[in-house]
Amino acid sequence: MSRTVSSATVVIGAGLAGLTSAIALAKAGQDVTLITKGLGGLTLSQGSIDIWGRTGAGLVTDPAQAVADAPAGHPYAVAGADAVRAGAEALCGWLDGWFEGDLHHTRLVPTAVGAWRPTCLVPAGHTVQPAAGQRWVVVGPRRMKDIQPELIAGNLARTPLPDGGFVRARGVGIDIAARAHEVDSSGVAYARALDEPSFRATFAEAVKAVVHEGEIVALPAILGLNDPEAFADLSKRIGHPLCEIVTPPPSVPGMRLDQALRAYAQQAGVRIVLGAAVLSATTDGDRVVSVDADTAGHVTTYAADAFVLAAGGFESGALEYDSTGTLSETIFGLPVTRAPGAPVVADYWADQPLFEAGLSVDASMRPLGQAGKPVCTNLHAAGGVIGGAVRWREKSGEGIALGTAWAAATAIEEATK
Amino acid sequence: MSTPIAAAGLGFAGHELARASLDQCLKCTICETQCPVARVTDLYPGPKFIGPQAERFRHGQSVDHSLDYCSSCGTCTLVCPQGVQIAEMISQGRAVMKAGHMPLRDKLISQTVLMGKAMTPVAPLANAALGIKPLRVVVEATFGIHRNAPMPHAQSQSFEAWFKKHRPARTTEATRGKVVFFHGCAGNYFEVATSKYAVEVLEHLGYEVLVPSHGCCGLAQQSNGLFDGATHDVLKLCDDLRSAGKGLTIVSASGSCTGMLKHEAHEIMGVKDERLADVGSRIVDIMEFLWTLHQAGELPEFAPINLSVPYHAPCQLKGQRMGMPALDVLGLIPGLTVRESGQPCCGIAGTYGLKKEKYAVAQAVGKPVFDHMLKDNPGFGLCDTETCRWQIGKSTGLRMEHPIYLVHQALGLSPVSTAA
Ligand SMILES: Cc1cc2nc3c(=O)[nH]c(=O)nc-3n(C[C@H](O)[C@H](O)[C@H](O)COP(=O)(O)OP(=O)(O)OC[C@H]3O[C@@H](n4cnc5c(N)ncnc54)[C@H](O)[C@@H]3O)c2cc1C
Ligand code: SF4
Ligand code: SF4
Repeated sequence: MSRTVSSATVVIGAGLAGLTSAIALAKAGQDVTLITKGLGGLTLSQGSIDIWGRTGAGLVTDPAQAVADAPAGHPYAVAGADAVRAGAEALCGWLDGWFEGDLHHTRLVPTAVGAWRPTCLVPAGHTVQPAAGQRWVVVGPRRMKDIQPELIAGNLARTPLPDGGFVRARGVGIDIAARAHEVDSSGVAYARALDEPSFRATFAEAVKAVVHEGEIVALPAILGLNDPEAFADLSKRIGHPLCEIVTPPPSVPGMRLDQALRAYAQQAGVRIVLGAAVLSATTDGDRVVSVDADTAGHVTTYAADAFVLAAGGFESGALEYDSTGTLSETIFGLPVTRAPGAPVVADYWADQPLFEAGLSVDASMRPLGQAGKPVCTNLHAAGGVIGGAVRWREKSGEGIALGTAWAAATAIEEATK
Repeated sequence: MSTPIAAAGLGFAGHELARASLDQCLKCTICETQCPVARVTDLYPGPKFIGPQAERFRHGQSVDHSLDYCSSCGTCTLVCPQGVQIAEMISQGRAVMKAGHMPLRDKLISQTVLMGKAMTPVAPLANAALGIKPLRVVVEATFGIHRNAPMPHAQSQSFEAWFKKHRPARTTEATRGKVVFFHGCAGNYFEVATSKYAVEVLEHLGYEVLVPSHGCCGLAQQSNGLFDGATHDVLKLCDDLRSAGKGLTIVSASGSCTGMLKHEAHEIMGVKDERLADVGSRIVDIMEFLWTLHQAGELPEFAPINLSVPYHAPCQLKGQRMGMPALDVLGLIPGLTVRESGQPCCGIAGTYGLKKEKYAVAQAVGKPVFDHMLKDNPGFGLCDTETCRWQIGKSTGLRMEHPIYLVHQALGLSPVSTAA
């Protein structure tokens, strides 16, 4: 048996790009179905919004300006600075009060290796901006995986800030178990423990015992997962300014943002089909009619007037580079653009040209075919599947996801008017 | 050492489907953060570790007995962005591990039909006996079934007995042809009312409903690692359901048994049989069925129900990768607000939460679901699967209903509920 489910728009993928375009369309009154193989990259992200953090010339101080100056062919240049601003503003409006910051200023957040990482919008109240001469103390539970307070403090103290100065920092471990029998708990186990007021009291006492008057206290980003009061409560109990340090996955700030945005999407009326991979598409001339998804027992055909391909890049399987050297987009078989020359180079430290490969799109985010014309009139792309940027180096992945998702949603809304 | 089940080839026959997916694991930790068991206990190291990591070392042998703490809720497989069949490979590992020394308790609690057959003729007595504390203490000590674990409520008449006697009270002629109704064992012996609502709704919509006499899908045996018995039962069931006629749609109101037929018997136990493939591709969840009708413009207008009701979508329903069709269908009822729990699992996961050593874990897993149900309700809550309704009902004291309960009302087949 086969089943057909119809909606106005089908979105493929539950990362920042998929969720943003789905919410934007649902808020505009559309019936939206979001189909996703699994959870998106947001769960693994730092929970902040990168717009443009670094160029070859070094740290970017005004991300919005960098977006406006993006070179031709970069996704920012195609989507346009207005779409990036509108996408970021929409996100801040949906999750009211979640973020602080503005697109014209770079924020620095400490990482688990003690780097000052440039980003743009940060979870409100959860970070402190570094300034020369400040005294920082990095406090970390000894039983937590991947957190070395002394290493973090040492690196933060020797890394120059944008104005050339340095913070002073020391690191100190505390012995406090998230769960009785575990000696190497993940940050998520600590965050869940810190959702409980009784554990917060014990934890805060242990932190207070090692901090000195006037110090800014940096703790791994574990200060509560589901209890929205946890952070404020800990701040009050510890009585010092607190700053969360982003960790490798599992990332608590990423999980918080993913949970909030998925819940918001569901509330906005987005129908989320979790766990189903989209396998293939049916087209009629220059239009996509439907996609087939791997639901249990039988394939379900999802028909729609418009489609958004937000299935990410190589890491999520949307793009593939196989052992024969073939580069492909795995659902629609769209042409993948890449720079001439070898896509992969042997030098470990060199830039891998493959990272820039992806779809080429028009201003409506429609993937382009050989002749530079949209392959389908009602198929749009957003996020990591679009080529032309090295997101991890630029620190631009989230901004690109927001901008291209917004541009795709706007084009779909206009086409249905 | 090779266990009998591995020697018989099952260890690897079962493994081959899921095992092939383990190399796709990127170690992203998404499954670990979403696993409801790892969330509440450090007795279980989590799906990434017990699934794709440990599986590499599991050549017919068991490397870590903590895998038995997995409840088989399937959440990990659902959230994995790489398509790793984590829950499936863990279930297979469990079958190999337990082969040859299966606890009597696990064999007993997998026999829902036997329980139903024994209890139905003496329903009042059976219900009373299950309510007697000292007796439950003895059962816990002897068999390892927790004294507070939820137990089904026996009915004096089975659904099949009712169905044989009932006459469709039609307002519509049976113009839409035939459908087969699958009641499962719980729907035959315990959740009889749900089965009746389902049949009455289908008949009201103009279907001729066929119910060939049938038994259990074997899910409880499968999740306890009893693959041989489960395979026997599921194929017997396929024969029974196929006897009703070729190519007919099979409609089910048993959230988890549907999943066993659609994919679990194949994806976990490796059952490759055309009878299963046939039934598995024809069976649909009743809410999935109604949503398809609505999309085709074939569902009548619903009468309003002015309520706000809490709902939990069971893990084994979500595992069917079709979203939450109950939310879509109930969304068509004017005045009705349905609030989904957003939680992966209620803890019972079939028979997991009955076991003495798992009871506390299951209760902790279900706690947020129980809180959600108790926060704001009109005297009842909604959930698509029988065992989950028993679990949530027992832990909250709330009456639990299948979503079809409200569809039955919205079609004018029973009086509309009002706020308690
Ligand atoms: C190593 C690395 C480091 C990075 N570092 C940074 C950084 O520091 N800063 C930054 O801004 N960006 C960084 N990025 C980029 C960033 O991760 C992505 O740009 C961003 O996550 C893209 O979001 P998305 O929504 O497009 O895709 P994703 O978040 O990847 O989501 C893709 C979604 O599509 C689903 N999906 C895939 N295939 C299918 C299918 N067939 N059917 C249905 N669903 C499907 C997946 O399950 C998933 O839900 C980095 C990327 C990598 C690989
Ligand atoms: S979610 Fe999938 S890829 Fe990620 S760690 Fe788990 S099994 Fe591996
Ligand atoms: S099936 Fe459920 S309990 Fe088992 S590992 Fe996966 S998420 Fe955890």
